[in-house]
Amino acid sequence: MNWNLSTEHYYVRFAHEEDIPNIYALLGSKEVVKNHPKNPMVVEAQAMDEARRMVMQFEAKEAAFWLVEEKTSGKVIARISFQKFNWVNASAQLKVDIFSEFKTQSILAELIYAVTTLAYEDLSLHRLEWFLLNQDTCSIEAAKAFGFNHDGQLKNYFEFEGSWIDYQVFSLLKTDTAWQQAIKHNGLSTL
Amino acid sequence: MKFVANVDFNGGQLRPLDKSDVDAIVKLYQKQTLAGQGEKAIKEHAERMITLSVQMAATQRGLMWAIEVDGQMLGMLSLYDWQPTSLKTLMRLDAMPELTQQLQIDALRSGIDYLAQKYHLRNFSFQCLPQGEESVIEVIKCVGFDQQARLRDFRRLNQTEFSDVLVFNKILELTEEALLSGEQI
Repeated sequence: MNWNLSTEHYYVRFAHEEDIPNIYALLGSKEVVKNHPKNPMVVEAQAMDEARRMVMQFEAKEAAFWLVEEKTSGKVIARISFQKFNWVNASAQLKVDIFSEFKTQSILAELIYAVTTLAYEDLSLHRLEWFLLNQDTCSIEAAKAFGFNHDGQLKNYFEFEGSWIDYQVFSLLKTDTAWQQAIKHNGLSTL
Repeated sequence: MKFVANVDFNGGQLRPLDKSDVDAIVKLYQKQTLAGQGEKAIKEHAERMITLSVQMAATQRGLMWAIEVDGQMLGMLSLYDWQPTSLKTLMRLDAMPELTQQLQIDALRSGIDYLAQKYHLRNFSFQCLPQGEESVIEVIKCVGFDQQARLRDFRRLNQTEFSDVLVFNKILELTEEALLSGEQI
């Protein structure tokens, strides 16, 4: 099975040793991590640790991480991942870390379609979840446009810097009409 | 060392499981539900569950109480996925037909009060199947749980079928002083 994907504009590929500065640049950006929410990285050693954890989680079949490299510039613009694989219930959580200037519906659609195809076709998953913060309106609008269903919220999911964080839960099932249409049209719909 | 406390409620008490509870646990763990159960319990599972209940409580990963009324075990109140750092836990309530709704409500309220005071837990949740768990849903709503989500096809039933899962929450507001003193407002 080939985990490295290629879309029209991007290589969606696994990270390698030379990507430490790319991971650091991405996850050191406050704009990128604020909607998870997380604090940005402040030293490159954190990126090395993160890269190790990405490999370990993949080897343990707990998660899969891809870096997104723009074909024309070679710039790494995002990291996209499936986390918390639940092989019994055939589900996983989608997570997207992306520089704000690239956080558009068309780019998200291109990337999410690529990894979702792999999730449903190669990994035989049935349900993808996307946990989003209320204030991440760009991602929420994208989720709705792509046909994700708003399942509800998980209240006070965890505490971050003194505040309790509620997640809005969006899901896309393999059997959803939106996904069947996406296969037919070779891409997720955008508004 | 005792890791599971006895907690009195109006009409009965919550108490740790013991070896004599095996038959009652097997009876209670026959229906299909979510937290902590993949299949119907048999005697060996129940025996393991009693051992596990001590380990879970000792490491604050979970907790299991027998609900006892007039010297008889008529139900269980359990915690799974207890996350002390996030002050939250997933709960499960099992009742034999003899355990009235009011007794279930009182047992659950007392359990939550105890957990809030002793461990400062403030985020309690239940995950229920949309069918077959109406009686539990009625009880938890009476205790103040609200449905927050319906997770579509969250639970796999067999090779091709999935079931939605309903998520209920009860969040306690705790002041800083209350957290320090263990009081709930």
